[in-house]
Amino acid sequence: MSGFADFWAGRDLWREPLLAGILAGAILGYIGVFVVLKRMVFVSAALSEISGVGVAFAFWLGAVLGIDPHAHRATPLLLEPTWFSLIFACLAAALFSLQPGHRKLASETIVGLGYIISSALVLAILNSPRIAQEAHAVGDILFGNAVTVPRKQIEALFGAAFAAVLAHAVFFKELLFVSYDRETASVQGIGVFRYELLLNLATAVVISVATRAVGALPVFAFSVIPAAAALMLTDRMRLTIALAVIFGVVSAAVGYYVSWVEQLPTGASMVVVASLFLLPGLVKIARRSAV
Amino acid sequence: MIGYRTPLLPPIDLAVRAGSTLGVLGPNGAGKTALLKSLLGLLPLLGGRRKLPLGRSPQVGYVPQRDRLDMSWPLRVLDVVLMGRARLVGPFKRYSARDCDQARAALHEIGIGDLAERPLYALSGGQHQKVLIARAIAAEPELLVLDEPTSAMDPAAERIFLELVARLKSAHNLSVVLVTHQLTAIAGFATEVALIDRERELFEVGPAEQMIDPHKLGRLYGREVMVSRVDGRIAVVIGEGAPN
Repeated sequence: MSGFADFWAGRDLWREPLLAGILAGAILGYIGVFVVLKRMVFVSAALSEISGVGVAFAFWLGAVLGIDPHAHRATPLLLEPTWFSLIFACLAAALFSLQPGHRKLASETIVGLGYIISSALVLAILNSPRIAQEAHAVGDILFGNAVTVPRKQIEALFGAAFAAVLAHAVFFKELLFVSYDRETASVQGIGVFRYELLLNLATAVVISVATRAVGALPVFAFSVIPAAAALMLTDRMRLTIALAVIFGVVSAAVGYYVSWVEQLPTGASMVVVASLFLLPGLVKIARRSAV
Repeated sequence: MIGYRTPLLPPIDLAVRAGSTLGVLGPNGAGKTALLKSLLGLLPLLGGRRKLPLGRSPQVGYVPQRDRLDMSWPLRVLDVVLMGRARLVGPFKRYSARDCDQARAALHEIGIGDLAERPLYALSGGQHQKVLIARAIAAEPELLVLDEPTSAMDPAAERIFLELVARLKSAHNLSVVLVTHQLTAIAGFATEVALIDRERELFEVGPAEQMIDPHKLGRLYGREVMVSRVDGRIAVVIGEGAPN
C-alpha cells in the first residue's frame, strides 16, 4: 500500500488526534501573534510547565489521600487533574498580569523562575515513590500524546479555543491597545490590568488544555513559530493573524501525516513542518537586507 | 501628598485651569512623572484629594515620552491613531466608519493625512511623533498631556512641535500639561509653570512670567540661570557658576 493509502486506511485511528492537532495549531497560531508581539514567549512556556505542576499535584494529592485519580470513574471531581492544571495556570497568569518585578528581579526573571521551579516540581512529583507506578500515565496526561487523544480532551480544547476567540472577538480593540501601548491606554482610562488579565487567562487556559491534548513541545512551537513566520511576511494585523492560523493548521495536519507515514514522533514532526514556514520570511528579510 | 510609598514632597496644591498650558519643569529624577501620574489619578494620593471640576475625569489625550513607535507590530498609522478612540467607542463595540473618519481627520490636521495606510516602519522619527499627537487628538481630549515630548528633538524641531501643539490647543480649546526638563520648551509656551525637585524638596507653581525667573530657576537647577528677551521671545541660559 502507498503511504497515503495506508494513512487513509487508518483514519479511525488518527481522526481524533489529528483534529486535536489542527485545533491546537489554529488557536495557538492566533494566540501566538499576541504572545510573540508582547515578547512573552517564555510566559507561554512557563504557563505550560506550571499547568503541569497542577496535574502532578492532583496525582500526588490523590496518592496522599489514598485515591487513584488515574483510575477510570474513581476520580473525585475535586481531584480531577484538569481542574488543578487550569487553576495553577490561571493563578500564574494572574500573577504575570500584575507584572511583578523589582530592580534586582525583573519580570522576565520571575517568569524564568516560574518555568525552572515548575519543571523541577513536575520531575520531583513524577518520581515520587507515591505515584511511581502511575508515572508513565501521568507523563501522558502532563505532556500530552498527540498519537491518541481522548474525545474529552478534544471537547475541552474546543471549549478553551471558543472561549479565547470569543474574548478576543469582543475585546479585540482593547486587547490590542493595552498590548501595544500599556502606558497610553492606562492614561486614557482603559482598564489595563483587567484586559491584560483577560489576555493572560485566555492564553493560560488554551495552553493548559492544549498541552494535555497534544504535548508541551508542539504547544510551545505553535505559540511561537506560526506567528513569527506570519510576522515576517506581512505588515497587516488581520493578515498576520490569518496566516498564523493557516500555518498552525497546516503544520499540525502535515506534521501528523509525515509522522504517520515515516513513523516519526508526532509532536516533533509537527514542529519541524512548522519551522519550514519560517523560510519564506527569512528569504524576504535576507532580500531586503541585500538591497 | 504625592509619592509611590513615601511622600516625594511636602504637601502640594496644583490646579490645571481650563484653557491654560501648565508646564511642569524639573531636572531628571525630580518627581515629574509621579506628579503627572497623581494628577491623572493613576497614582493614588498619599494624602489630600483630587478635585474634578467637571464631576468626572477629563477626556485625556496623551503623548508619551517616546520618539518612536514600536515598529515590530504589523500596524498601519491609522490603526495606531484609532487606538485614541478606544475609550470613546467603549467596550463590546468595534471602530465604526465615523471613528475611521475622525482618525483620518486628526491625521490631516497634523499634516500627515497621506500616511494613514503606511506601515509604521516606513515613517521617519518626526512622523512617529506626529502620529502620537494625532492619536491624542483623535481621543477628542479636553486635556492634552505631553510627557517630555521634545527630549529627542533638535531646537528647530522642538519649536515646530510646540507651534503645532499651540495651534491644536487653540483649535480644540484644550488645556495642556507639558512635562519637560527642557527650559526652552517651557519659556514662551506655558501660561503657568510648576517647578519641582524632590531632592531639594522644592515645589512652586505660578504664572509663567513669575516662574521663568533667574532666582527660581537657579534654585531649581543649582546653577546660575540667565533669562532675557530676544526679539520678544524669552531666552534662558544656564551659567557656569552657583545660583545668584
